[in-house]
Amino acid sequence: MWLTQLLALPLFQMAFFVYLARFVSPTVTNVTFIAVGNALQVASFSSIFAVCNITSEEKWQGTLIPLIATPANRFPLFLGRASFQILNGIATIAVGFFYANYIFGVDMSRTDFAALTIVILITSLTMTGFGLMLGSVGLFMRTAMIIANIFLFIGLLVCGVNFPVTDLPVWLQPVSYAIPMTYGTLAARAAVNGAGIVELTPVLLQEAGAGVASILAGYVLFVGFELLARRRGTLEEY
Amino acid sequence: MAELQTLWGSFRMSMLSFFADPQWIIPNIIAPFVFTAVALIFFGNVSGSLALYAVLGGGMMGMWGNTLYGSGFALAFDRWNGTIEYVLATPSRLVWIVAGRSASSAFLGLVNALAILVVAVLGYGTQLGIANPLLFLLALMLTLTSLSALGIVFCSSFLLTRSAQVLTNGLEMPIYVASGSMFPIALLPFWTHPLSLSLGPTWGIDAMRYAADATYAGMGFGYWTDLLMVLFSTIVYLAIGFWLFIIVENKARRDATLEEY
Repeated sequence: MWLTQLLALPLFQMAFFVYLARFVSPTVTNVTFIAVGNALQVASFSSIFAVCNITSEEKWQGTLIPLIATPANRFPLFLGRASFQILNGIATIAVGFFYANYIFGVDMSRTDFAALTIVILITSLTMTGFGLMLGSVGLFMRTAMIIANIFLFIGLLVCGVNFPVTDLPVWLQPVSYAIPMTYGTLAARAAVNGAGIVELTPVLLQEAGAGVASILAGYVLFVGFELLARRRGTLEEY
Repeated sequence: MAELQTLWGSFRMSMLSFFADPQWIIPNIIAPFVFTAVALIFFGNVSGSLALYAVLGGGMMGMWGNTLYGSGFALAFDRWNGTIEYVLATPSRLVWIVAGRSASSAFLGLVNALAILVVAVLGYGTQLGIANPLLFLLALMLTLTSLSALGIVFCSSFLLTRSAQVLTNGLEMPIYVASGSMFPIALLPFWTHPLSLSLGPTWGIDAMRYAADATYAGMGFGYWTDLLMVLFSTIVYLAIGFWLFIIVENKARRDATLEEY
């Protein structure tokens, strides 16, 4: 089942937007822009959707209360539960780039693969941090699935995946730059065009900054919502 | 008659459950909304009737999203809530219960489709003139029925798996692509065309475009042929769905895997 998700989702998401782009404006540049953006964005299925739903799944399985009752430090507990999804995200992005290259004809002859690997690693890490931040809300809400679904797809619109962020209304652009994926798509396209790690450092630092801010905000929210949920007795609500 | 009572009872319960907790409509419609928004931004620089593809495609995707999630979670929620055995223990056949739930999802899917049309027209200023409203409505209703029947087919397999949620997520986009919801299927590789043409929604969206735009050339079969194909595929899906449910229901009871999740 996991393999179905790993192999099918990147293919069909990329296919949808690439064929749509070919229908509207059949230029190679456009298709490359979209294929690379989607190759990276497909990681959201693991780093946002799966991570965000961790607390909800534990509610459904009846394991949240025993978990919260442990004396374990919340920070490693908070990060550790999502760490598998970092690897899952990396694998999903790798599959996405394979499709971009071999099925949708993205020219990767000039790609700096070392730089691209670092971009993929940082994007998966930071987006998992972003997913954890969203998932913290699931401690207090009856389910995090609603918010998980919203942020799973909203990235397609605001993170420069299918068109540049500058095409968005000005008031919406700050939202784009609060999400690590936006920097990831910029860096990935530059790496595919041959930019090295030195050239990418500024944008990768911005991405890492957005990711660290998400993790810290997520941790604070996790602890805060845990206290609130304990006080109100809503931990088991779903 | 008893089957119709089951169907109605299931439809009613499903609608009551939805109105008791309407937030669940968000996961069902967010993808179609976002995809339509991206498409409208793509189509923003294109003149002519191309925007029709985005708007009608978005509507169809909204219907499919809701129907698929409705079918996918129809039994998954019973599993999580520990009520699936009670549902199967009733003397009514499961397929009629699922059909009622699927019909309610399809009905809500219609609301989704209308919401997407309204947002596209009001929010993005898309021009959407329907050349023949009656034929459009007919094609819309038949496409909705076809999507609902397709949902029943998939739902039968969801009874066997612990991961209906993963399957549901995985089946959403293939239909968007294969049915040519927002672009002509001629753009897809030739070997995929038989798959596309075996899907009722492919014919349904083509029929809707014929009815909406008098100058639309489409797949070349014409409105009425498209409509007949939608009807034919719906009958085939229902036959397969009912047959699969007999097999799957017996297997799930025999293997005692109903409560696994």
